[in-house]
Formats: sequence, C-alpha cells, structure tokens
Amino acid sequence: MFIHFFYSLRDKGIPVTPTSFLRLQKALGMGLIGSLDDFYSVTRSLLVKSERYFDIYDQAFAVAFRGMADVEATDVELAEAVKAMLSEWLKDPGAMAEALGLTESQVRKMTPDELVAHFLKRLKEQTEAHHGGNKWIGTHGTSPTGHSGTHPGGMRVGGESRNKSAIKVAMERRYRDYSQSGPITASQMGEALKRLKNLKPAGPKDIVNIDETIRQTMRNAGEIEIIFDRRLADRLKVKLLIDNGGWSMEPYVEIVQALFHYAQFQFKELEIYYFHNTIYSRIWHDPERYQKVVRVEEFSRLDPETRLIIVGDASMAPYELADPHGAIYVGQNESKPSLHYLKYLAGVFRHAVWLNPQPQDYWYHTWTVRQIAAIFPMFELSLDGLEKAVLRLMSKN
Amino acid sequence: MMTPENRTAKFSGAAHYVLDEELAKIVNISMALEMPLLLKGEPGTGKTMLAHAIAESLHMPLIILNVKSSMKLVDALYQYDTLTRLNDSRFADSGRNVSNIEEYIKMGKIGQAFAAEKKVVLLIDEIDKADTDFQDDMLDILDQMQFDIMEIDRTVKAKNRPVIIITSNAKKDLSDPFLGRCNFHHIAFPDRDMMRKIIQVHFPDLNKDLASACLELFYRLRDVRGVEKKPATRELINWVRALQADPDFNIKQLKSSGIPFLGVLFKKSTDIYLASHH
Repeated sequence: MFIHFFYSLRDKGIPVTPTSFLRLQKALGMGLIGSLDDFYSVTRSLLVKSERYFDIYDQAFAVAFRGMADVEATDVELAEAVKAMLSEWLKDPGAMAEALGLTESQVRKMTPDELVAHFLKRLKEQTEAHHGGNKWIGTHGTSPTGHSGTHPGGMRVGGESRNKSAIKVAMERRYRDYSQSGPITASQMGEALKRLKNLKPAGPKDIVNIDETIRQTMRNAGEIEIIFDRRLADRLKVKLLIDNGGWSMEPYVEIVQALFHYAQFQFKELEIYYFHNTIYSRIWHDPERYQKVVRVEEFSRLDPETRLIIVGDASMAPYELADPHGAIYVGQNESKPSLHYLKYLAGVFRHAVWLNPQPQDYWYHTWTVRQIAAIFPMFELSLDGLEKAVLRLMSKN
Repeated sequence: MMTPENRTAKFSGAAHYVLDEELAKIVNISMALEMPLLLKGEPGTGKTMLAHAIAESLHMPLIILNVKSSMKLVDALYQYDTLTRLNDSRFADSGRNVSNIEEYIKMGKIGQAFAAEKKVVLLIDEIDKADTDFQDDMLDILDQMQFDIMEIDRTVKAKNRPVIIITSNAKKDLSDPFLGRCNFHHIAFPDRDMMRKIIQVHFPDLNKDLASACLELFYRLRDVRGVEKKPATRELINWVRALQADPDFNIKQLKSSGIPFLGVLFKKSTDIYLASHH
C-alpha cells in the first residue's frame, strides 16, 4: 500500500529505504494507523530521518493526499460526490434518513435530485457550524454521519490538539526552515568543524593504563604498581587563510565570519591570515593587510601535519594568478606568479583544502577557479562541502 | 484490529510534561514496533523530559546513559574492574573469589537495562557526542538485544525489550545505518499556545496577565538579532520562578524599562548586553 507515495518521496530526493517501507506496512497491518493524521505523523517518523527533509515530505504529502481529504471542494464536485454515494445509501434508507435529519418516509418522497440538494444544504450548515466539517465528504462517503473520524479511539493528551487535517498541516510547510536547500547557519558550521580533531595525550596523568600496570606489577613480583597515562586531548594545528579583499567576496562576508568564529572556538591552535584574491610571497596577520606581514616561505618550517584551510572565491583576472607581476597593488613587487606560491603551499601541507563560498555550479565558468581547484581540493562553503572538506583534512594520506 | 483500549501500555503524558499530540502518536508507534525513537530539536524543547514523562506515566524505571565524547561502547555495556581484581589477588582479604571473574564485572547502563527484571525506559542522552562507530555499534546491540561479555564468555540477553529514547542536539545528521534503525522525530520549539500550557502546568496559580506578559517578552527576546544562545523552556520556567520569588516585583516592571533577572534567561555576557539594549 502507498507504494506510489513511497516512490514520490524517493523521487523528490528523500533517502527512504525499503526496510522502513516494510516497517510502515507492519504498522499498518497492526492497525496502529487509524486516520490520515496518524498516517502523516507515523509515516514521517518511520520514513524520514532528518528534519531537513520534513519540508519536502510535507509537499509530497500534500500532493499525494490532497484528493483524499478534499480541501477545497467546489459545489459541482460535491454534487458529483453525493450522487456517487446515493446508490450506496439507498441500500439503507434508515441510516440515510438519520444522517440527513429526516424521517424515512420523507426520504422516500424525495427525488434523487431533491435529495442531493437537501444534502448539500445540510452540508453547508455543517460547514458553517464547525470549520473543516466538510472533510468527511471526501472520504468517499463511507461515513456519512459526519464524524470527523480523525481520531478513532481518541488519544487523550494534555497538550495542544491541532484541529487541522494532516493535509492542512502539511500544506502549512512548518518545516521550511529546516529544509536542506536553506543557507548554512552558524551552528551547523560548528557541528561540521567538530569532527576536525587530532587526539594526542595531554594534561595530567589520571587514566590507569591497565596493561602497563599489570606488566609493572609482574616485574615487581606481585607488588602492585599502578601506571597512569595522560588523557587524549585535541592538539590539531590549523592555519586559516581568508580572502578578505575586493568586492567579489563581499556577499560572503557573513558566512566567512561564521566560519571564522567557529574555527576560533573549535581549534586550540588556530592562526588566521589574510590575503587579497590570491596568495603571493606575503600574507598578513591583520585583516587590514598592512602591519603584520608573514612571508609564505616561512611556512615550510611549520609542522607538515598542520591543516591548511584557504577561504576565497578564487575568482580574479587570469593575469593575477599566472603573471609574475600580477599583484594588483602598487609596491607589491613579485618575481614569481601566484600559481607558484599556491603550489608551494600545497606541497608543504599534505592536508590542505580550499573552501569556495560560491556555489559549485559557477566554478567552471571561471578560468582561475579551475586552475586553483587543480592545486587544492576545492569544496563549496556549504554544510555539505564543509563536511567533505573536513573528511578530506582528516584522511590519513 | 487493535484499538487504543486493548493495547496494554499507552503513553498519554505525565504530570509535569505537556505532550504534543503528534509526538504522542510517534512515541506509541515506536513502542508498538519496538523501535528506538530518535529525538532531535534545539535545547529546551523537552527531549530529555519526554523520557522522564514516559517512565512516569507507564510506571517503568528510567535508566539514563549520558553519552560522553570519550566513551567507549563497552563502558555502556559493562565494566571489568581489573584494578580491584589485581588488588584482591595481592591482598586476599576482600571476600571475593579472585578466580571468578564474574565478581568483577559490573553492568553499565545498557547492561542494567537488559538485566532488569521489569521493562524499563532507557534514555540515551546526547548521542551526537560520541563518534560514528560508537553509534552504529550501539544500534547493533540494541537491535539484537544482547551482547557478549568477553572476559567470561557470557552472553547477556535482554529480559525485556526496553523502551529506548535517544536524543541528539546536533544539527547535522547521524549516520545512515543508525537512522535506518530508529524512528525519527524533530521537536520544534513550542509555539505560544503550547508554551502557555507548559507554564500553566508548572505554575498553576500564575496570574494570567503576568503569564501573557512574560510570554510576550520571552518570544520577543528570542528574536533579538545576534543572540548566540536563545533562551529555551528551561530558562523561561526559571525566570518565571525568579519573578515569583521576588517580593518587590510587579507586572509593570516588565512593560517599563529594565527587564529583571536577565541573567536567568541569557547565559552569555554579550547576549545579555544585546537583550538589554534591543
């Protein structure tokens, strides 16, 4: 059952699995799902495993089940529906009379058209009396007495009860904020960076090393000697190089700031440098790129296990990258092209990545981006890209 | 067909917990399918409280495993106390039989949940702190409902399948195999109506005007731009408690200039600054 719905979720990109689908069948088989509202919540909890997909789920659900619960039925549609039900009803005139608030003899006197008209009139009254009251007509008339039928057995809960159908809830798209296409937020960035660590023993010796204790005790001929070790702590060295110049980086200031903030928070040994567009022989410690000059060649003295993260859009004029005199500032006399220094940095640090805040689709239109991507593994500065970059930085080789 | 009446245990909220209808359904279906329920949501949405509430309403003992980043899975299952054994073998005065390793095995939280005579609620709090291997291996064990104690070559089987609630604060997803074995729910931050009920549950005697004024201010403060740690339900409850405890406080203070006890709502000095100058 609901196999089309399942595939529509899959088509929209929610990673639903056959196992979870079978689990849904099990739940249906056990009679645990009594209404469309139940179905909405339960199916979501079984099939959709991240709030990032909740929005897509809501959309798919609204499309798939809209016809079921008849959100905005026109009069013509209603009349058709009623006619379709009439033949069913006429098998049991007693129940129908009760449903319409008439006596059985009154019903017998009415023509089918009169019946339909009377029914629609009743329906209108009901709609006015309680909102959403027309919902039951869409359930193909199996429940003409108009019980809302949304909660058979009625679950008693202390909290709020949404007097809305699952469709309406789905159509509200409450989870739009969480959908994957949204921009990366600061805390997501912190989460992604958390994975980046290099555990080394540090701090006081307060963990018992069992193996060493036993060995030492044996050497002492049974006289117990307890050996302590240091705890593992994160000792990862990170160099963050940020392109903070030029208009091209302007739109990404906020996201880079967030990265910057979380990087500071996350790494004990973090140093931040600044450059404009690309890297020549010098980079700067101060964001104004004026006072504290650092020669790029000096980086070769650093621990090669240091992680190098470069942030920039890598977009510039081709000569800035390839020409030995490409630097756009007067007085910045260079003898080698920027490409040389980039290759040099990539050679010094085994673990280096370039984060590009531009969407990946745009990269390959720009020559300089292609050039730089050939030197450094380049990742999008998005949650996905950041995760891949972290994975790359943590890889052993 | 199973109706709610003949199902034995069904969760419908507890004394100090206001249950969302949708969440109730998901809790019940997870218990019926005997699957762990993974709860995500920002801090203060009552993820941990839910497990307490389930335990209370179904009269089951609650066992809490607080996951730490340095934790190994075996720590959650059992501990083999080698040091005590070593000590006992040297000074044989403890009354324990040193050659019987079983005397030195202590159950961890998952082990306790398995060994319990009665069905329990097992809360695995903040699973995102542990690494991926821990998470996947743990789910293996919760799937099979058994684990081996290697030192004594014994298999511990769960006497009763516990009701398992797992919480995660992380914005990022857990691994796919992990997610595949859980039911999932994301608890959104309570809206005003829900929050009003929560406040009512905690402060039944609270004056309506005061409650409205507090909520109004609370949601406005949550929207202050640039605040790093937004106040959550816990902070709101503590704040109302603080206001009630202050004999000099009256409702007009909320509407006029300074907000009293900002430090209860905000925990960072920059946030307090932003909130008081918004």
